[in-house]
Amino acid sequence: MKARLMRSEDLAKLVNAIRRRGYEVVAPFCNKGRDTYYDTVTDENIGRVRLHVANPYYPPKRFVLPPIERLLRVKRANGTYGIEATYEAPKRAIFGIRSCDVAGIYHLDRFYLGREFPDTYYARRRRELLLVNVVCTDAELDISDACFCVCTDTGPAARDHFDLQLMDLGAGELLVVAGTSAGEALFEEPIFTKATQEHVERRRQILSEVRKRFKTTTCWFSATVRYVSQGSVPEKTWEEIGNRCLECGGCTYVCPACTCFTVSDRPTGRDEIERVRIWDSCALGGFTRMAGGHNPRKSVHDRRNRRFFRKLAHYFIQRELSMACVGCGRCAAVCHGDVGMPSVVEMIRRAAALEDKIEPVPADGR
Amino acid sequence: MGVNGKTIVAAEDRGATRGAGPGPVENVYLPKLAVLDRVQDEIAEVKTFYWHFVDEVEQAKFRAFRPGQFAQVSLFGVGEFPASLPPSPTENELFFTVRSVGSCTAALHALKPGDVFGVRGPYGNGFPMEQYYGRNLVFVAGGIGLIPLRSCIVYAMAHRERYGRLQVFYGARTPSDLMYVRDLKAWEESAGLECHVTVDRPADGWKGNVGVVGSLLKKPEINVAVANSTAFVCGPPVMFRFAIKDLLQLGFAERDIVSTLERYMKCGVGKCGHCCIGVAYVCVDGPVFTYEQIKKLGEDI
Repeated sequence: MKARLMRSEDLAKLVNAIRRRGYEVVAPFCNKGRDTYYDTVTDENIGRVRLHVANPYYPPKRFVLPPIERLLRVKRANGTYGIEATYEAPKRAIFGIRSCDVAGIYHLDRFYLGREFPDTYYARRRRELLLVNVVCTDAELDISDACFCVCTDTGPAARDHFDLQLMDLGAGELLVVAGTSAGEALFEEPIFTKATQEHVERRRQILSEVRKRFKTTTCWFSATVRYVSQGSVPEKTWEEIGNRCLECGGCTYVCPACTCFTVSDRPTGRDEIERVRIWDSCALGGFTRMAGGHNPRKSVHDRRNRRFFRKLAHYFIQRELSMACVGCGRCAAVCHGDVGMPSVVEMIRRAAALEDKIEPVPADGR
Repeated sequence: MGVNGKTIVAAEDRGATRGAGPGPVENVYLPKLAVLDRVQDEIAEVKTFYWHFVDEVEQAKFRAFRPGQFAQVSLFGVGEFPASLPPSPTENELFFTVRSVGSCTAALHALKPGDVFGVRGPYGNGFPMEQYYGRNLVFVAGGIGLIPLRSCIVYAMAHRERYGRLQVFYGARTPSDLMYVRDLKAWEESAGLECHVTVDRPADGWKGNVGVVGSLLKKPEINVAVANSTAFVCGPPVMFRFAIKDLLQLGFAERDIVSTLERYMKCGVGKCGHCCIGVAYVCVDGPVFTYEQIKKLGEDI
């Protein structure tokens, strides 16, 4: 991958260069306090675009998979129906997407575009999307208490799947790496200068330092994947996790890699309806309830088990060649019952350790 | 490793993308318009809906379905539901047999001949009927569980020479709960197939067997083909559990018992996530699974 250098005071120039190419640019903005949110960059707010901000609670997933998305418009006339598929795919760039969320979008790519039935709504949005990744290097602003990308190997610097990657080398210098030809095309801009081997070496040093600044570093992921895949997690551990779940669905709505949706028809006029898909959550009781009331997945711990099984079972990782957890820590940050992914990974590891059967041998050796 | 004998193909091999993304792909969520031709009463709350696609090309494409596949039925303004395909691809007409149980199925029941609705599919793996060539087929159905199995039974009858013995064991609560009575009558009179029917609670004038469907399998005068046989089981959960137990006792191997599962589904194409049981998306990995696979799904069915 090719790298160039730019000055951090030229950040707005880079954003404008992307806007000039016809992209709607969305970037994380800082509200009062620590609240951050993705918003469209305009001439008015461009001065507030920052390199280092806390990752917003709402992931950028909605730019490829909106929370509510119309699939069809259906009009009734003369005893029959006119069905029109409606697509919305603006040319859009996410500026400042974090490495975990790049991995999240990649996971959605694997899920929605792979296998037998590629999803055309997703494909159209994705094709128009440019990802400008920012590496998390600021321990105060970029890295939260719940971040654990170092455990899922998705950060702090994405290795792939971005168009352009920016990393703060300090001293007003940014190392910019192009991941695709679309990203490399931006190197035409006069703001870029040559990068040297010394800059690449500084990038490496900074990254190894940043890794030490993560507060959540419970690296039990691979072990937990093994326990979950083998089915060796004790039933009472799932129950304990289930008992702490308030069934709010928050974890799934903030997850950059959750994919489930429901479909609903809603009237928009006298003889007109639209069919929409809406984010859904496996945490909610009605997720598997069939017409007539039969629900094969009744208890809350079955549903919690489901979510973590879907994310951690080796079978699904192999199926998508990508894991449905990217270490962003949002589930841990929003969960009132403290059963976000890092806690669950830890609970499963601890339960597995307690399963060890050790018999002390008496002193006489028999 | 594959579910249901299918090799799991890595996403990349099917056109997954990084960065730029693929060109426009077919819209899998787009229903095709269908016209209701006529309605046949079956049992209380259950009717059969004969229909055809408005577009002849769609009709021809759809008719290549396999026994055991399903379709997504659209009632515009109400929603979409998955419905199994009871006809055999060897038959001329397309139809659904549906119990009115929720808002979508009730909306279908309210349609009159000539009314228009939507259908997309066929979806799912279906029964691998070609894998059963030369084998005896034993069908065990309870109640409306006969609906999805009807397709295989009629298909096997149409290709009689490809299969060994064909046996149907069918049970319902009462004589008025028996599905497809016209088919049952034809099957009972057919020389090519052994059909045994039972009811839990007989009504006046019932001269047939009384008892659960499993009791048929144990009758001394009935000789169930076990060696070189595949058993198809479909019915309500309790019936399913006991029928499996009976078949295993008779000596059926777990991989020689097949069933078709039912789940809440929104998309039918492996995306919405509602039908996922353990490691399987029922809509794309199923709905047909062997009992051996069902046990390994990692979650209760």
